[in-house]
Amino acid sequence: MAGIELLSDQGYRVDGRKPNELRKIQARMGVFSQADGSAYIEQGNTKALAVVYGPHEIRGSRSKSQHDRAIINCQYSMATFSTGERKRRPHGDRKSSEMTLHLKQTFEAAILTQLYPRSQIDIYVQILQADGGNYSACVNAATLAVVDAGIPLRDYVCACSAGFVEDTPLVDLSHLEESAGGTQLSLAVLPKAEHLALIEMDSRLHQDHLESMMDAATQACKDLYAVLDRVVRDHLQEVTTSIGE
Amino acid sequence: MNTNSLTQAPWHQTTVEPLEYHRKFLKENCRPDGRELGEFRTTTLNIGSITTADGSALVKLGNTTIICGIKGELAAPPADAPDKGYIVPNVDLPPLCSSRFRPGPPGEQAQAASQFIADVIENSEMLQREDLCIEKGKLSWVLYCDIICLDYDGNILDACIIALLASMKNVQLPEVHVNEQTGLAEVNMKKKRHLNIVKHPVAASFAVFDNSILIVDPTSDEENLSTGFITVVIDEEEKLCTVHKPGGTPLSNEKLQDCINRAITRNKEVCKLLNKVMKSMKAK
Repeated sequence: MAGIELLSDQGYRVDGRKPNELRKIQARMGVFSQADGSAYIEQGNTKALAVVYGPHEIRGSRSKSQHDRAIINCQYSMATFSTGERKRRPHGDRKSSEMTLHLKQTFEAAILTQLYPRSQIDIYVQILQADGGNYSACVNAATLAVVDAGIPLRDYVCACSAGFVEDTPLVDLSHLEESAGGTQLSLAVLPKAEHLALIEMDSRLHQDHLESMMDAATQACKDLYAVLDRVVRDHLQEVTTSIGE
Repeated sequence: MNTNSLTQAPWHQTTVEPLEYHRKFLKENCRPDGRELGEFRTTTLNIGSITTADGSALVKLGNTTIICGIKGELAAPPADAPDKGYIVPNVDLPPLCSSRFRPGPPGEQAQAASQFIADVIENSEMLQREDLCIEKGKLSWVLYCDIICLDYDGNILDACIIALLASMKNVQLPEVHVNEQTGLAEVNMKKKRHLNIVKHPVAASFAVFDNSILIVDPTSDEENLSTGFITVVIDEEEKLCTVHKPGGTPLSNEKLQDCINRAITRNKEVCKLLNKVMKSMKAK
């Protein structure tokens, strides 16, 4: 690969991380008052916000309602100032619509929708700054927001991206690593049972390498799960002590 | 979960008879969240958090959260004003900020807010459009000011103006030269300079209750119950930039004068806050 070396000889990446190291994660829950559940996450420089409304009565077309489960309505939106070049259409373009659909499908797998027939759960995700791993940050933020809203989940949904350079799988790609070309894998996992909610892979990859990439990504998701779980427990402790006072 | 209100009233009072509930407080010259009639909510400001934008600011006015990001692009100047650049504000009220907004194209409120901000920028002359010109007739800057509401709890116009002002002060544009031989622009990312902000307009919004009582900085509940609105924008020289009163209850001259006086004090409060935050940023 010409240009920047994604993996140095000593095994360090451009930003100094090891191949299986995640970026620094900071997350907060319950950040907005209007929403039923909200969360903010920072993975490295990628900043994502997720807001959940629901479950509530179906708005708009009644024909969409399901008699035995809730429908999930998602919207993925990127702020116009979130990317290096100003993004002309924050949502409604093809890439955003695809992400929206992926989010919807991921959460339909995780949320116990049978408990809320004929109702609707809205999940809105906003990217404030995009530095790679947009889908992963969205899914992680949305998981925290759904937990904050008190909607029952089968398990946390943790997502991570992975790449493959010089026979080494790289985990949690930054924008620089994503745009360098090469294989990219997005993975959303329910960590306890290691069930896969969503896999998406771009570019060519030899099938022998697939397993090592998937293992690296799954392990990264499990690490992420530990972080998110810690955030939820800390938040719960904060909320219960302030109610008790 | 909202455990923010100081008084946890029985739910039927706040849901079934909200107007009576508010009236009880107004009789004592205060409001359900403990504020006085002329008191603004706590304002917090965070500048420069979005590094992909040329300038950014996050404002919290109580629960109302607004983020503004400014990006500069190069374009040919308008034909009727070849020595001026463009400033394009845009207010977005996405469905994530409140359940009252639906997904889709910008609604009436968002478009009206965008136009209001554009008017304030032009009327207050906070920035000279000539400063944005790089080469007369050939190249100028376009400043796209994108304002997104993240949490809607009333009084977004005030918060938008503060966010806009703070992010304008935070903007750093690189130096651009037009190469005479090739006619192409050469951008020097290493040399950046701030914008020259000459005026600092600050808005103060009021809601009219029961055709007579004026309250400052209404929350979302108060906005729903009020009978009229008025917004006054004043700059630091105590000059009026904009007075915006979209219909609603008629107001007497003295009430208007009260509003203007309150707006003047608000301008001082906000400018002080802004200077404090900018100083603490420079110290880093």
